[in-house]
Amino acid sequence: MSSFDDIAVMFDTESEKLLKIIDIATLKSDLSISEIIDMYYQIINISSMNTMLKQQINSDNQKPLLDKILKIEKVITEKFDSDIHPRIMEHLRKSIQETTSTLQSGSKQKSKEDIENEAKSYEELRQKMSTKEFVEQYDKGLSND
Amino acid sequence: MIEDIAKNLINLKKKFTTIYDGQSQIQEIIPVSKSELFPIDQKDLELLHEFAKISPIYYNHYEQIIGNTTCVVYEGDINKYWLNSIQHSSSHAPFSPTWLMSAYICALFAKKFEYSEVIDIGSGDGRIAFCAKILDLKSYSIEIDDMLVGLQKELCSILDFNPHCSDATMFDYSSIKLTKPLFFIGGLAQMGGNSLASGVFDKISTMSNVQQNSGWVFAGTYSQKYLADPKNEAGWGTLIEKNNLKSVKTVSLPTAWTFHELDETPYIFAKPL
Repeated sequence: MSSFDDIAVMFDTESEKLLKIIDIATLKSDLSISEIIDMYYQIINISSMNTMLKQQINSDNQKPLLDKILKIEKVITEKFDSDIHPRIMEHLRKSIQETTSTLQSGSKQKSKEDIENEAKSYEELRQKMSTKEFVEQYDKGLSND
Repeated sequence: MIEDIAKNLINLKKKFTTIYDGQSQIQEIIPVSKSELFPIDQKDLELLHEFAKISPIYYNHYEQIIGNTTCVVYEGDINKYWLNSIQHSSSHAPFSPTWLMSAYICALFAKKFEYSEVIDIGSGDGRIAFCAKILDLKSYSIEIDDMLVGLQKELCSILDFNPHCSDATMFDYSSIKLTKPLFFIGGLAQMGGNSLASGVFDKISTMSNVQQNSGWVFAGTYSQKYLADPKNEAGWGTLIEKNNLKSVKTVSLPTAWTFHELDETPYIFAKPL
């Protein structure tokens, strides 16, 4: 098989995976950090494949593949970019704000166990902040489109 | 030899990492007493312990024999300082401390190289300035974060190392009488250290007498996590060349951020060509 065929086969599998992820994200309001990262990774992965495949489609018998590409692009634009992505941005912003306020309002006297448990919340906060930076990069890409 | 103390500290740290089973965010060790491996004045060691015992960064300490050296292990947490420091738009790097023993060894080199003053830039809790003061050098500590400067002021009850709450790139260096200063730049080149150092260098370059006598110490990294500098020097090569400096000594020392790493932090001592 040519590399074009390889990518087309991979595109089938990966776009199915993305549709499932988007379905879950549409229903779920509180996605975990790993779910958010996986979803953006899959969106970027599919978008790259779309670009590559579209550049190489040059015959009518590849029309079914082109239709699939256009269909998944529509899902990304209408469901992800317009709905899920803004919700995730807002969710991360609020969550960072809440965690920051909670950590700042903690009492002064803490035991060794309290401090070490609280360190886990700080670690989660750092994860949320770096995820927000990553999500904002995606948003900048949308603004430049 | 100061180099031997540095090597012995690295060996001690490597042994410590294999036996440490605590959960603290940061941890460090200080030998209890002067020994063949650590021929340091007992009075100086006691001041280092006093700093760690007073500092609110450390919430627990205990004695442990590491190799053949009896040490005190200090366990700490810098999360609240991190949270405060990232809220400064002009803060160049989040606070993470070097080890107190490493700060002391750096100050020993400052003394050996006959600098008159140590200026700890982006000083965090001011430990480098504190260690310089232990060795009777004039010391100044410049830190932008008010919470950290508050902490430094508490520590000045042991020794006054002149904390200043200021953006080091805006500070008026002519307000402190500098003759032969050594500037320690806080932060890796890739973590904001480069712009911090450039800003301070621009200020000092307007004071030609001071600039010619000045020395600079940069905390570097060989970690592949960070973009390498094309001129090397652990991330500082380009800045060193651009500012007509030459590297005269590199010493590797343990820091909080390299506790889990195999490589220690290289401190690069540089001076004008």
